[in-house]
Amino acid sequence: MITDSLDLDDLIARWNPSPSDLSINAVGVNHYYGEGETRKQVLFGNRLQVRRGEIVIMTGPSGSGKTTLLTLIGTLRKVQEGSLKVLGEELLGAAPTTVAQLRKQIGFIFQAHNLFESLTAYQNVSMATELLGIPPVEAKPRIVETLTRLGLGQRIHYKPRSLSGGQKQRVAVARGIIHRPQLILADEPTAALDAESGREVVTIFQEMARNDGCTIVIVTHDNRILDVADRIVSMVDGHIRTNVLIERNAIMCRILNEFDIFRSLTPQAISQVADKLSLRKYLAGEEIIRQGEMGDEFFVIGAGEVDIEIDGIRVNTLGKGAFFGEVSLIKHQPRNATVRAKSNVTCFILSKDDFQSVMDNSQTFEQELRNAIFARQ
Amino acid sequence: MRRTPLAWNNLIHDKRRLLIAIVGIAFAVMLMFQQRGFRLALFDSTVEIVQLMDCDVIVFNSNRFTISNELRFRRSLLDVAASHPQVAEVVPVYLENLAARLRSPGGRARPIRVILWDLNQRLFYDDAGEIERYRAGLSKPGTAIMDQLSREAYGFDLRGGAKFPQNGELSRKQLEVIGRFWLGRDFAHDGSLLMSVDNLERYFSYRAADPRTVVDYGVLRLAAGADHRQVAGELRDLLGSQVLVMTKQDFIDREINFWSRSTPIGIIFNIGMALGFVVGVIICYQILANDIAEHLKEFATLKAMGYPNRYFVGVVIRQAIYLSLLGFIPGLLLSWGLFWFNSSVTGLLMRLSGERILVILGLTLAMCIVSGLLALRKLIQADPAALF
Repeated sequence: MITDSLDLDDLIARWNPSPSDLSINAVGVNHYYGEGETRKQVLFGNRLQVRRGEIVIMTGPSGSGKTTLLTLIGTLRKVQEGSLKVLGEELLGAAPTTVAQLRKQIGFIFQAHNLFESLTAYQNVSMATELLGIPPVEAKPRIVETLTRLGLGQRIHYKPRSLSGGQKQRVAVARGIIHRPQLILADEPTAALDAESGREVVTIFQEMARNDGCTIVIVTHDNRILDVADRIVSMVDGHIRTNVLIERNAIMCRILNEFDIFRSLTPQAISQVADKLSLRKYLAGEEIIRQGEMGDEFFVIGAGEVDIEIDGIRVNTLGKGAFFGEVSLIKHQPRNATVRAKSNVTCFILSKDDFQSVMDNSQTFEQELRNAIFARQ
Repeated sequence: MRRTPLAWNNLIHDKRRLLIAIVGIAFAVMLMFQQRGFRLALFDSTVEIVQLMDCDVIVFNSNRFTISNELRFRRSLLDVAASHPQVAEVVPVYLENLAARLRSPGGRARPIRVILWDLNQRLFYDDAGEIERYRAGLSKPGTAIMDQLSREAYGFDLRGGAKFPQNGELSRKQLEVIGRFWLGRDFAHDGSLLMSVDNLERYFSYRAADPRTVVDYGVLRLAAGADHRQVAGELRDLLGSQVLVMTKQDFIDREINFWSRSTPIGIIFNIGMALGFVVGVIICYQILANDIAEHLKEFATLKAMGYPNRYFVGVVIRQAIYLSLLGFIPGLLLSWGLFWFNSSVTGLLMRLSGERILVILGLTLAMCIVSGLLALRKLIQADPAALF
């Protein structure tokens, strides 16, 4: 069984990151352009949590607000509403000194290379190390190495005029990463690059994410690099339409396939459920739901056993793969039983709203549920 | 730590534009030098005659508002002045501007300034001994020496290698020019003659029944260690309200003040200099603003990276300083040449002293920094959010 080979405790730890582990934590971020009558809302209640070391690819049509969100994360725009924490600092109402400090920890790679024509590739890159006060003895080998890695070893002291478009873009990439930022914000960094150098750039990104815990947000339409993403965020009309943690989703789908209740779902529906499920752990004896309370969650047992008690009398014991909590959600009634962990239990949990949307979208899921409830009675 | 010299590199990146900038600023520098040069030449030349005098305190008619104004006073007052214990020597000086007319043989009579004094007394600092050389010759009646910077229109050959004596007429009477000295013209005088006071009756008998009794200036030398200003004050009390008594420097300042405040001339040159300044500001602003406009995206990128606004202020100010220095040097050389040319054409004293060079350098720096600050507004507004 796949689930047995996976350590659910480990998954819980990884999928429920503590706030200190989040590089980006956006909650209820709204943004508006213009003022008065021409004021137009461009971001609607954006919620986005990105762990340290995660590579996020943001997609969406132009005008979807992804660029606005990126500039907000990059401190290049003031946050108007909501909470946005970047590298642990709240940006709503942040002091200029905080912003200045944060910017030095962020690496920007813009769609245009924005290199000074009067400076050589080396000098353009060293503008970033100088700002951070990295001494030249340390900066020099780093700059040379980075430029060499990006295939510019022979052109370190060339001015942009003597470089091709792709080479200029690679210098800009070097400038964005040379100071080893904790967060890289890149706008179409590979658009001007051929397949090989584009791959080299994303490989460097991956190394920085893995080795230095650098968080990377890439706005791109380049599907050649989608495979490096840990998370793909898709925006439409100022809303985050989908926010898929790729690895988590894949693992969850595999797990869910093991459970009868989910097996009948289409792959797409499974993926949808997987994306919305959270994992939670209960200790033996802990009360999971209480009879008489209004319920707002649906549970599937991933590991362990639970006791069902009605009016204080144990009526049943459920094991792995069983589910509970659905009646209250479907019928909008208080819980009809108390559920208590018999051993240490790990549950997959779907919130009421997500449960409802899965129900709405999947006839078979609803059917499965009804069959199960029917069978139980 | 050595920083990438962004300001310098950006400045010299476009050589053609840099050249235009340098030419433009050099032009503005030259304009300022010319205007200031003329202004100072006016003052310098006007007071040069006083500067050359070995004089501690000067006495003159209290209504005399400028050096050339012919208001005189009784010589007897100078005898009173001489009685002051601190006064070592009194030199009466006689001056003619308007009535004195010099004519070369076959030429036209032109007004000329004539300065007369008792040759037994020393009037001028005379380091080169020029005037001393002619003392014997000048004691002969009807002789004079002429300022070699006097206008050529007088018809006398005053250049190096010229032969003397040369004959002419002063106020319709025979005059023998037996040599030359160095003084310079000014706005009121095309030339000057020096001669012995003994010639007063011969040429300017109309001054008074005894022409010597009416003097233009009393040049006083004080005892060593005397406080010039204090003695001048005491003499003022002693001599009454008919005359003014001033130290040499006060007198020079008064004369300069007259020209710069009471005549439009000083103001005109100030306006000229202000124009030079404005031209410089505009040229410099164009160059700096262009540079910023062309690199707005790059500067915005630096802002996104976390470069603070003061860095950009530094870049623009540095560019302004580089530009002003690059423009100043050719401007100075050009002005030097022009000063020399002007001086030889007009006979005005066009001096480029260290202090005056520094003043223009300061103005040039101010000019470029002002335009830099104007151009900076654009840069401060550069919005890195527009880059994504």
